[in-house]
Amino acid sequence: MKLRNSSSISLGPLATLLWLLAFAVAAEAKDLQFQAYLVWAADAQKSPDPTHKPVDSEVRRKLHELPLKWANFFEVSRVSLTVAEGKSGTTSLSDHCRVEVTDVNGKNVEVSLIGKGAPVLKRIQPLPKGEMLVLGGNAPDSTGWLVVLKRTE
Amino acid sequence: MKTEQTLKLQAFLDGELSETEARDIAAWLARDADAKALHNELRHTRKALKDSEPRVTLPESREFYWSKIRRDIERSAPAPAKPAPASPLLWLRRLLLQTGPMTVLGVALLAGLIHFCWVDAKLGLATESTGAEAGTFTYHDDANGTTLVWVNFPAETEIAMNTTPW
Repeated sequence: MKLRNSSSISLGPLATLLWLLAFAVAAEAKDLQFQAYLVWAADAQKSPDPTHKPVDSEVRRKLHELPLKWANFFEVSRVSLTVAEGKSGTTSLSDHCRVEVTDVNGKNVEVSLIGKGAPVLKRIQPLPKGEMLVLGGNAPDSTGWLVVLKRTE
Repeated sequence: MKTEQTLKLQAFLDGELSETEARDIAAWLARDADAKALHNELRHTRKALKDSEPRVTLPESREFYWSKIRRDIERSAPAPAKPAPASPLLWLRRLLLQTGPMTVLGVALLAGLIHFCWVDAKLGLATESTGAEAGTFTYHDDANGTTLVWVNFPAETEIAMNTTPW
């Protein structure tokens, strides 16, 4: 009877498995992608600024679900923002408004809103794909401003 | 004669007393006529009872007789129950008993991991800070996955004017 020598077992499959595992982990480390909107909230049917257009239907639907008093939401600007894993990304929504997003630990994001060079708000929270963070405040003439940050990836 | 003395006398007759006590009772019987009379009466009664007991003779030997009883008992006794198949709960209980503290530690670690990796992420344990004069109001809409943070101050204030992004 022949005895199998256990030390002769090939390490090939094990190495392949480890390589695949490492690949899967690396593939998991994706960039975070966002859409940032600057929105003017008002009851007026039309914005006095002809460059403003109504926000897209998905954002409008979600905004209408929030406890906001305005009937209409106009998109002032929209930008895409990509944040690498563990890094920060900044984008300007207007001459006076800037948003900085930092991937804190792979699960939370830190969102900083800077208005006219001064920090307005800093918030850390989870923001999974498809979810939306809306920062807002009052604007003159009983209107409002909103900064909408939607995680797209 | 006291009841205690009568009982002692009965015990003497039955051979239940120690050597010292038996000697004392014998001396007492030798000098007390009443005690002697009672002793004789008790002895006769005992003999009469013993002689009148019916004698039963077994048709078989003692060993065979008792072995029959033993077999009858064994036959009528229920068969030993088969061990029940181990249920998952029983298995878990056995595992917990065997692994003890390690299991508790493992469960605690797992609960911690779940808390930090899942609960924090899903339930949105958020922190925020604002500019010095502004307060905030936060609203979370679970159904739509939307969080609203409202920076709360009158629109006409200088801060509001500085914050307004246009």
